[in-house]
Amino acid sequence: MKSKLTPRFLIIGLVLIWAIWAIWPTVQYQGLSDTEKEILREEGKLKQLESRTIKQGLDLKGGMYIVLEVDLPTLMENLAENKDNKFNRSIASVRDQLKLRPEADFFTLFKTASSDDNLKLSRYYYDYGSSNNDILSSLAEEAEDAINRVLEILQNRVDQFGVAEPTIQKQGNQRIIVELAGVQDSERARALLESTALLEFFIVKDVNTTNDIMVKIDQVLKGDESITAVPETAPAKAPEEIQTSEDQTVSVSDLFGETVDSEASSDSAVVDENMFADRPFSSMLRNLGQSIGVPEQNAYAIKKILERPEVQEKLAAVGGIFLFSHKAEEYPMVDGTVEKMYNLYLVEDEPELTGGVVEEAKANIGSQGGSSAGQPIVNLTMNSDGARKWSIVTGSNVGRQVALVLDKKVHMAPNIREKISGGGTLIEGFADINEAKDIAIVLRAGSLPAPVDIIEGRVVGPSLGADSVRRGTQSVLIGLALVLVFMLIYYRTSGTIADFALIWNIVLVLAVLASLQATLTLPGIAGLILTVGMSIDANVIIFERIREELQKGKTPRAAVDGGYDRALTTIIDANVTTVIAALVLWQFGTGPIKGFATVLFWGILVSMFTAIFVTRTIFNSFTNRKGFTKLSI
Amino acid sequence: MRIIKETNIDFMKQRKMSAILSAFIILAGVISLVVNGGPKLSIDFKGGFLVSVQYTEAMDVTEIRSSMGNINIDGQSFDFSQEEIKHFGGPDAVLIRVPHIEDAPQNFAQKIVDHLYDSFPDKVPENKNNFILGKGTVSPKIGSELSGKAVMAIFSALGLILLYISIRFEFKFALGAIAALAHDVLITLGIFSLLGYEISLPIIAAFLTIVGYSLNDTIVIFDRIRENVKASKRETYHMVVNRSINDSLSRTFVTSLTTFFVVSVLWLFGGVVIHNFALAMMIGVIVGTYSSIYIASPIVVQLHENAAK
Repeated sequence: MKSKLTPRFLIIGLVLIWAIWAIWPTVQYQGLSDTEKEILREEGKLKQLESRTIKQGLDLKGGMYIVLEVDLPTLMENLAENKDNKFNRSIASVRDQLKLRPEADFFTLFKTASSDDNLKLSRYYYDYGSSNNDILSSLAEEAEDAINRVLEILQNRVDQFGVAEPTIQKQGNQRIIVELAGVQDSERARALLESTALLEFFIVKDVNTTNDIMVKIDQVLKGDESITAVPETAPAKAPEEIQTSEDQTVSVSDLFGETVDSEASSDSAVVDENMFADRPFSSMLRNLGQSIGVPEQNAYAIKKILERPEVQEKLAAVGGIFLFSHKAEEYPMVDGTVEKMYNLYLVEDEPELTGGVVEEAKANIGSQGGSSAGQPIVNLTMNSDGARKWSIVTGSNVGRQVALVLDKKVHMAPNIREKISGGGTLIEGFADINEAKDIAIVLRAGSLPAPVDIIEGRVVGPSLGADSVRRGTQSVLIGLALVLVFMLIYYRTSGTIADFALIWNIVLVLAVLASLQATLTLPGIAGLILTVGMSIDANVIIFERIREELQKGKTPRAAVDGGYDRALTTIIDANVTTVIAALVLWQFGTGPIKGFATVLFWGILVSMFTAIFVTRTIFNSFTNRKGFTKLSI
Repeated sequence: MRIIKETNIDFMKQRKMSAILSAFIILAGVISLVVNGGPKLSIDFKGGFLVSVQYTEAMDVTEIRSSMGNINIDGQSFDFSQEEIKHFGGPDAVLIRVPHIEDAPQNFAQKIVDHLYDSFPDKVPENKNNFILGKGTVSPKIGSELSGKAVMAIFSALGLILLYISIRFEFKFALGAIAALAHDVLITLGIFSLLGYEISLPIIAAFLTIVGYSLNDTIVIFDRIRENVKASKRETYHMVVNRSINDSLSRTFVTSLTTFFVVSVLWLFGGVVIHNFALAMMIGVIVGTYSSIYIASPIVVQLHENAAK
């Protein structure tokens, strides 16, 4: 009988050795201090160690989880040539439909829209085929390619940003999931990922053209009853805010291109209701000399006005677009107060140069003596092609303003003093050096082929994460202790065997997780606790059976054998159903749910091994002894 | 030690009583669900914004409510004073939930955090990153996908389980088990609705775990019934089922007790994030144990008696 048990002990021993080997790196890693980790990182050994440990999920460690989706309508717009109104209308209708039915497929909608509107796609996408169907399928391929490029660029950005364990993966053919565990400044990371990094250089239209267009927009809106409704599109209290602006002082010369200076205060007048009715657009703006100021509280209303189709038409007629500045700045007003305003620039509708020419971008602090002394800046170096174009652009526009535009927002609009031939330039207008650094990163990594939208974003602060770990571990330990003590009291020696199996069960599950490089999340801890319950249940079923067999008057040895045999089918049937639930969860779940399902699945499998195989081996080694007559159960 | 000794309770005799009790609890839950217009879904399913922040001292929810009455972002104003604003774990932490807004400004969740930070400058930690406990933005697009997935998950799990039990036992057992599961989930859903707790993604996981646990329990009893039916031809079906429940009563008791220990520890000490998850599990353990005795088994007896007639 003894010889029969030896292979069983061998298996158990081997599994034990494997478990310790698998779990050791995690134990080692947990014991490391931050400085020790830093040393290992420099030696290049940290990555190797990390690859063998159980990772902590975002909910335990803090960090961010973001799902990005490529904006397909915009990508298609970018790819199209010779865009006309007909095309724009079709794309706009697809966009509207997507808003109502977000789950719909873009290309199906685009197909229907183009056949409904009689749109000949070959007109806009002549490089992509001749028939609409051919074009659509190659556009779909192009979109697939675009998402892969987005993935690569984002990986590049995150690598340069320096996060310990980034996970960036594609989901489906339109989405990218980014997980940055342990990232402290979630805002910076978000901005870094979301930025399209589209750098454009626009020539700013001259003051007269700008004033003309403002007058035209005023005229278009004037008498339009719905213009008073514009502020109302802003929820809640926006109308009141617009009215407050009417009581503030503005320069009457706003429309006539005179610069605001101390003397300008003489022409200042209060915008009254009449003035608002007369000039609904320009009365909400301020004159800042080289640019137009948009008080913060009017920004939404102005954006809405500029989006109106009749306003767009007027702008298209002069070939210009309005762009906002990157952030609102404080300007002293004539009455001594300070107002936060955005700058608004009317620029040519086609950029002179785009960021594709950037060869190198470096964040810096502006040197002494320059206009940007002490300010964070980004130094750009252009490739030869870019440098040539840049010198032509600057050479032929001396005296005019050039707007440096990043992601459709103006960072600065300096006057061109002379031709710039070296291909070097700098961007200013950053809040701090970190922002400049991040912009340099995105410019180096290159721009995305299409904008991305964040459709899901979750951030767990480090303190909540730490609290969760502490409490999670605590409750696992307390729960475990309670169960261990209960089993000990209730089943005595047999309870000890079950306890031993239980502890082993937990160690084994952790070992499996470590070798799978799984991520332990809070629901995962819950899964572990549930596993404890399931593992104990298997032993309870067995022990109750053994007790029944003993009551029937069987010898301990026969009772143990009988109990295990009869309990086995019950345990398997009961566990298979839970495994089904776990597998379904794993299949459908995302993130945290998947973590739960993984732990539950392996927990059940491992508990079958420990609660049946391991405990039985121990029992048998007792019952096989000579003179064994009484079983403590 | 032995708490439950040999018992001989006529469980099947109590089945009318238990049916009434269950019907009553389910009805209360269903009424609450109807009154509230369905279960209260979290932003995981509806889309929206969720922000939780940590102040340095205890905060008054009404004060925060009034500060949320007027948030201005670039001239766009929002009034969130009527939205869900509550303490989160302790009196110094606050959670705010805002439904999805079309045309919301970029990075809206952070704007809400900024507003909360700036509204009470003397009660916030110096580093804003320590102020944020968590924030979430879910677009309705993701939400609707997830709802579809959750429904799919629950139904495919039920379908597969039905199939498995039909193969391993008989179809009537499968029906009994599924009825018990529906009973458990309905009661838990009802209690959540009565308490005003929301159904989030982890709660769906808890529901599926309840399903797994309750089944486990039911199958242990079914297994006994199957075994006892084979062994004794003389007893009536009613008696066999009763004896099977009595036989496995000690195991049912011990397992339920240990599992209950564990989840109640999780509920008490697991922390705010996992609190409702653990509550769902606690309800599930009690209801699941009850339903395998009083719902699943009586249905099997009833179906058997109907077939015999």
